[in-house]
Amino acid sequence: MNSFLKRLKEFPGRAASWFRSLPGRSARFFRSLYERAADLFASFLNFFKSSNQNVRASLCLMGLGQLMYRQYGKGILYLAIEIGAVLFFSLVGFTWISGFFTLGTIAADPWTGQEGDNSVIMMLLGLFAFVILILFLVLYVSNVKDARKSQLMVLEGKKLPTFRDELKDLLDKKFYKSVLFVPILGVSVFSVLPIVFMILIAFTNYGPDHIPPNLVDWTGFESFETIFSATNIGSTFAKILGWNLLWAVASTLVNYLLGLLLALLLAKKVVKGKAFWRLFPILAYAIPGFITLTAFKFMFSMGGPINDIISDLGGTPIHFLGLDNTWGARFIGLMVNAWLTVPSTMLLATGILSNAPTDMYEAARIDGASSFRQFKDLTLPFVVFATTPTLITSFINNFNNFGVFYFLRGDIVPSEGYTAANDTDLLINWLYRLSIDNNYYSIGAAVSLLIFLITSIISLIVYVRSPAYRKEGTFR
Amino acid sequence: MKEKRIILPLAVLAILLVGCGEPGASSTGGGSGGGYDPDDPTMKPDVIPAVFEKFEGELERNVEIKVLENGNADKVGYSEELFDAFNEAYKEYGITAVDANIGEYNDLAQMGPYGTGPDVIYQANDIIMGYVDDKLVTPLPTYYMPDYSKIPATAWKAYESAATGERYTFGIPINVQTGLLYYRADLLPENWEAEWDDDKNGIPDMVENMNDLYRFSQIRHEANNDEYGLVFSLNDFYFSGSFLFTYGGYVFGNGDTDDTDIGLHKGDAAIGANIARTFAGVMSEECIDDSAKLAISGNMASGKYFASVTTPDNYEVIISALATEYEAERKGTAEECDALARENLLSVPFPDFPLSGDLEDDSEGFTSALTMGGINGFAISSYSKYPKASLAFINFAASYEMVCRRYEMLGIAPCREDAAEIAGELSKQLFDKVDEGAIYLMPSLSSLSQVWSPAGSFFGDLAEDNLIRPVAERKYDTIEKIQAGLETTSQNIYDAIHILGV
Repeated sequence: MNSFLKRLKEFPGRAASWFRSLPGRSARFFRSLYERAADLFASFLNFFKSSNQNVRASLCLMGLGQLMYRQYGKGILYLAIEIGAVLFFSLVGFTWISGFFTLGTIAADPWTGQEGDNSVIMMLLGLFAFVILILFLVLYVSNVKDARKSQLMVLEGKKLPTFRDELKDLLDKKFYKSVLFVPILGVSVFSVLPIVFMILIAFTNYGPDHIPPNLVDWTGFESFETIFSATNIGSTFAKILGWNLLWAVASTLVNYLLGLLLALLLAKKVVKGKAFWRLFPILAYAIPGFITLTAFKFMFSMGGPINDIISDLGGTPIHFLGLDNTWGARFIGLMVNAWLTVPSTMLLATGILSNAPTDMYEAARIDGASSFRQFKDLTLPFVVFATTPTLITSFINNFNNFGVFYFLRGDIVPSEGYTAANDTDLLINWLYRLSIDNNYYSIGAAVSLLIFLITSIISLIVYVRSPAYRKEGTFR
Repeated sequence: MKEKRIILPLAVLAILLVGCGEPGASSTGGGSGGGYDPDDPTMKPDVIPAVFEKFEGELERNVEIKVLENGNADKVGYSEELFDAFNEAYKEYGITAVDANIGEYNDLAQMGPYGTGPDVIYQANDIIMGYVDDKLVTPLPTYYMPDYSKIPATAWKAYESAATGERYTFGIPINVQTGLLYYRADLLPENWEAEWDDDKNGIPDMVENMNDLYRFSQIRHEANNDEYGLVFSLNDFYFSGSFLFTYGGYVFGNGDTDDTDIGLHKGDAAIGANIARTFAGVMSEECIDDSAKLAISGNMASGKYFASVTTPDNYEVIISALATEYEAERKGTAEECDALARENLLSVPFPDFPLSGDLEDDSEGFTSALTMGGINGFAISSYSKYPKASLAFINFAASYEMVCRRYEMLGIAPCREDAAEIAGELSKQLFDKVDEGAIYLMPSLSSLSQVWSPAGSFFGDLAEDNLIRPVAERKYDTIEKIQAGLETTSQNIYDAIHILGV
């Protein structure tokens, strides 16, 4: 606490010093940038001077150097790539790239059959053309490097590998490249491209008035300005973010601790018929989440069994999930989420506990450590160490937990002081309302980009500071 | 492209041969020498507007059109009957209509532009008109609709839009849908004819006006704590909206065409909302959320509710539950119980509201309830490759015979005057209400989707106020507070529609 206060007191002085040093640091940064560029240019000149005519030929035309070294298979392949790229860019590539910047100029009119530009497709095609361009540049550099490598091998008097040798290498020394090629391609197409596309959408006006066949335009940071502006959207975002962080931390802790306690309880020797008792949480886990959530919504509804019991006992029914019951509904959400998630944590903890080093417990018992002490100093560190990555995954899943409040309270909007959201909505629920219910795709994309930034930063910080990262070899 | 090359000369030929039209439809106008006149849409213009050119020329041959019909129509076999009849009628052209085989509530925006959507869709007017802004449904050449004059102008209005400049019609009305009051005749007091029929018209007063229904609900609940009079989910704005509309509230301004003017709080809407709040006091707590809606058949059958409000498509579900209840009570065979259920479950339009705005004061008389309703109809996707065949299909489906058959099989009120005549008293009443503008038709703007949840949440909160909220915490115990609540709701809806626009 004292150290925190000390650092707090020092903060203004440090901040002033940081700002004072800013001009000098900026100058150093740009000087180093200039120096690096100059170094790069010098090394290129050096490379060019020391290269023979074959390497220079490959610089001018892909594969030519290889052909001059009589590496015909590889040379023809590189040449074909260059011809393919030239054809692609001259036929469609440059049009796609140009379309990426304009996002279309003629709006289609499906009523008259007038064909027009589809901004979203143009953005996708432009993105694709950029990927092809980058891929081409990578292959171009590899072509030059390959020619240079051949030059050096010849200088050293080594025999150049044949095309067949290099193909064999792909199944032997470079097998990892062959194996990883398809997954990397898959990840690029199915994960990276959609993420980049989503990021780009955040910088457009893709929304209710700008859905194809209407044209979409680039709008820069307007979506972010709307989110952070002083309107209700900004305050809604801040309120939801605050609740979202609290929810993610609370639900991760509750699920984790309850799962661990359940696993410890069922691991006790005194418990008879362990398999039987473990069956119940697994059953809860096995039922699809949306069915469980719908059932819970019914249970807590005005006509549900819980209110029936309250009425039968002479009480006044409670609108558990009502507009006014913010914290009650949030608590119900937390518990329902625990119902859905604790079984998986329990199973995980059960597996980890079965590998716990028994000798350490033996030593602790001999030393007279209490059960709580053993839990605190042995069980918890051991389980936490093994499950930190799972904890981070669980945190991210909870941060983006769409189902719980969508099913429990999705029909209530808006709460007082919120725009297009209620007070139990998480950012992901709000994102859904904005983009799916209201077609505000650009705002939705901006929100999802912010979610991405928040979850990645938190996950990285937690992981880097965790024992699983810092003391990797502890339990090996 | 190939198709375009064929259609364009055909269109030119068709312009020259004015009056040829498409087979199966007769042009009712002869051309006035001007352009398309939205005020007289039956008149075929001499110069065909570009948006209607695709309907000119000869009917496509040997094509298949995909139709997205209503889920209930599929279930009871009406869709199949309609497709068979149409396919038979257009056999010589080789046109066949088939089920689009997609969910009833699929979004045309996700399919149409990519060529995977249906050619023809059957939906409520708010859904169809929600597609207009993005040009997903195409304007219809009403001069090729031979039965245009058989459908009331108010119903056509539900399918008109000038959102993109010119005023066009985007759907052909088939039937009218609105909330009705369903009640159990066998739960009426034995002496109802003497005590509860002041005007001696043979209809119990408690299903004719809200004041008597309120009084009856009080008596019934006081006599047995587990029984109620009228109960329905007040959080469903489709039904609870009538409390506001009857007293001057509205959804959008300028005849529901201006979504910058949200009018839930306008006129004396707060008085209507106060009636809803007061009535909630004698309803079951299930009226606060969806519980009453979800349990309507069981609670009507068990007699827990004397009456409830729902749409006619739920009629068969309630009948089935009631017949099962009668069987359990050993009131006869399955057929007898079914007949008894049909005899006892009756429906009437929503009861009249007191002009005084007070459920205990009927000295000023009553005014008809203005209930929200919708006009279901057919529309054609802008991306249909066979617009002429699709037009032929919707004209066929809107014909007298098919609309009557739809009524027989589905029990829904027709929009055609001639079909409504033979469809029974209630259908006729609903038709007349549409004709007179006495049904508040769902606005034909896509921004309507932003209205349901906030307005429903307000009514749920209003009901909660008088049912379970402690006196000290009540939020709407004065008209002023209700008015403020309605104003906030209108503002929330405005924000959802406009504030997010980048």
